[in-house]
Amino acid sequence: MTEALQEDGLVLGGLTKVLGGRVIIDNLHLVVKKGEMVSLLGPSGCGKTTTLRMIAGFLIPDKGDILLNGKDVTTLGPEKRPSAMVFQNYALWPHMTVFNNVAYPLKVRKLSKPEIEKRVHEALNLVNLMHHKDSRPSQISGGEQQRVALARALVQEPDILLLDEPLSNLDAKLRVKVREDIRDLQRRLGITTVIVTHDQDEALSISDRIAVMNAGKIEQFSTPQELYDRPETEYVANFIGSLNHLQGGYNDGQIIAGSEVVGIRPEDVIFTKGQVPGSYSATVELVVPRGHFSEVYLKRADAELRAFISSDIPAVGTTGYARISKALIYQDGKLVRVA
Amino acid sequence: MASEKTDVVAESLLVKTTPRLSALGFFMALPPMLLVICFVGLPILIAFTFSLGFTTGPNRVVSIIGQEIHKKDHWWGTFGAYKDVFHDSRFPGDLRTTLLVTFMATVLVLIMALGIGIYQRMIGGRLAGVMTTLTLVPLFVPVVIASWAIHTFYAGDGFMRTLFSHFGINFPTLTSTVSAIIIGTIWTSLPFAILMVTSGLQSIPDALIETAQDAGAGFFRIIRTVLVPLAITPIVIAGTFTAIGIMGSFTIPLFLGPNQPTMLGVEIANFFGAYNRPQQSIVMAFVVFAAASGIALVYIWANVRSAKQSGRI
Repeated sequence: MTEALQEDGLVLGGLTKVLGGRVIIDNLHLVVKKGEMVSLLGPSGCGKTTTLRMIAGFLIPDKGDILLNGKDVTTLGPEKRPSAMVFQNYALWPHMTVFNNVAYPLKVRKLSKPEIEKRVHEALNLVNLMHHKDSRPSQISGGEQQRVALARALVQEPDILLLDEPLSNLDAKLRVKVREDIRDLQRRLGITTVIVTHDQDEALSISDRIAVMNAGKIEQFSTPQELYDRPETEYVANFIGSLNHLQGGYNDGQIIAGSEVVGIRPEDVIFTKGQVPGSYSATVELVVPRGHFSEVYLKRADAELRAFISSDIPAVGTTGYARISKALIYQDGKLVRVA
Repeated sequence: MASEKTDVVAESLLVKTTPRLSALGFFMALPPMLLVICFVGLPILIAFTFSLGFTTGPNRVVSIIGQEIHKKDHWWGTFGAYKDVFHDSRFPGDLRTTLLVTFMATVLVLIMALGIGIYQRMIGGRLAGVMTTLTLVPLFVPVVIASWAIHTFYAGDGFMRTLFSHFGINFPTLTSTVSAIIIGTIWTSLPFAILMVTSGLQSIPDALIETAQDAGAGFFRIIRTVLVPLAITPIVIAGTFTAIGIMGSFTIPLFLGPNQPTMLGVEIANFFGAYNRPQQSIVMAFVVFAAASGIALVYIWANVRSAKQSGRI
């Protein structure tokens, strides 16, 4: 904690929050480095929004500390914190124009009119919305509204930017576009950012590091690649990406009797027509096209496996050989080895 | 293919049923429309012609019974009754009292409704709930009972004077003063205004308030820049309904107000009944109606503004 105190960025030290008699956040520790983009990822009810609201100051933790750039902000209200939050539903004030929405935080800080105008124009240019500065929120699209909300947060030049599921109200195509915009802006401005999401694709594609949450705790806090390649718990393995989840043991590319859990990523199941070392006879039972790849259900003597195959898709009934190139072995929910 | 077929069927059904549905809708709306035309519109028209000196037809009987009746001397009528009213020394005082009571009571009602509504929206909790519930009590007390209670409470031999006299304080007698009318109209108008204003404030999403907090705004700035502007339509509607209701009130000014000057509602009744000058009483009613129409314009403005903001027009 002392070491963390000296760091710039965000430090959450042993946060605990009880709401309605239920422990929502349970002794949560997290250190976000300055300029880093971190996702809080998890299913609904895991406590990620509660954590974000505590960072923003809308909730005061029952226990623990929140440090921002070395300063203790645990008990400060949101209006006194050097943070800015973008809400899930954008929360633009409908009675104000886009310009006035973005200018609001600067007016609160009593900046001069020319200064406000300059900074609002800069922020709107940053999100390419200068042409909409006189529009009302109801006159612009959802994606544009999201960018206005982002501009309103960025114009405050906060030490930390907090995004609460900012893309969940956008359609799939727009979501990809806006998340790239957010990532691009975050990199250009080097602003420390915490984003809450339940969408693993979103988290994997824009984060420097991801904190996977479960029941008010962080299960694993790693880079996207590490999280995918080496999920430390069975929960994370199941939550991130697809997984063949098999009960038993693992030996020499085969599932054997045992008390462990074997997790195999479908892309680590390789189907070949001819036999190669470590492969075993398998029959194609079902093929589900998924666009640029197909999900192929294979039946082997030891297990039923799902494989992702992107070329030479076998037909149903084809007999060949399936090899497992990598398996994650879990005991009592914890990773014990990677085979 | 199947869906194309369904679309065609749906389209043809729509074409066939639309005129029938419109006719059905029109006939369903007809009874209330006729009711309003026959029992509100027509009497207004007849009264208006009577005020202009048209004393035949449906106005014949009242013209015979009433005193100081002006008969039309032009094809369009006469302003004789209007001149009577505007030259009557009592009328300016009555009009002033009516407008003063309407303005003061409406402003006080809105301030109280906003106070309670904002307290409930921003602070909440059990106390706010109890306060809101208590303010609704007058809804269930008949106006005549409440007026009498207020009368005895503030009368020369009433509770307040009796209580204060124990401490050697001469509490003013409010009964039969304009202040008593204002107190009484606040009592009757507050519950509805609170319902309107509170529901308007409650419908503002938390995120809009939290964003303002996040931007650094304090309590009063949030009220001024976010809460009130976002709830302005229900606030204005509550204000206009309150003002129109107070302007036309009768029971409270009759029980609690002074004899002269008094509110136009009481004066209209006096002119119509006690003084037997129905034409002049109708002129006064049209003056109140004109003032109420001015307030109604504010109501229309609030609705148009709200529709524009939400992109409906």
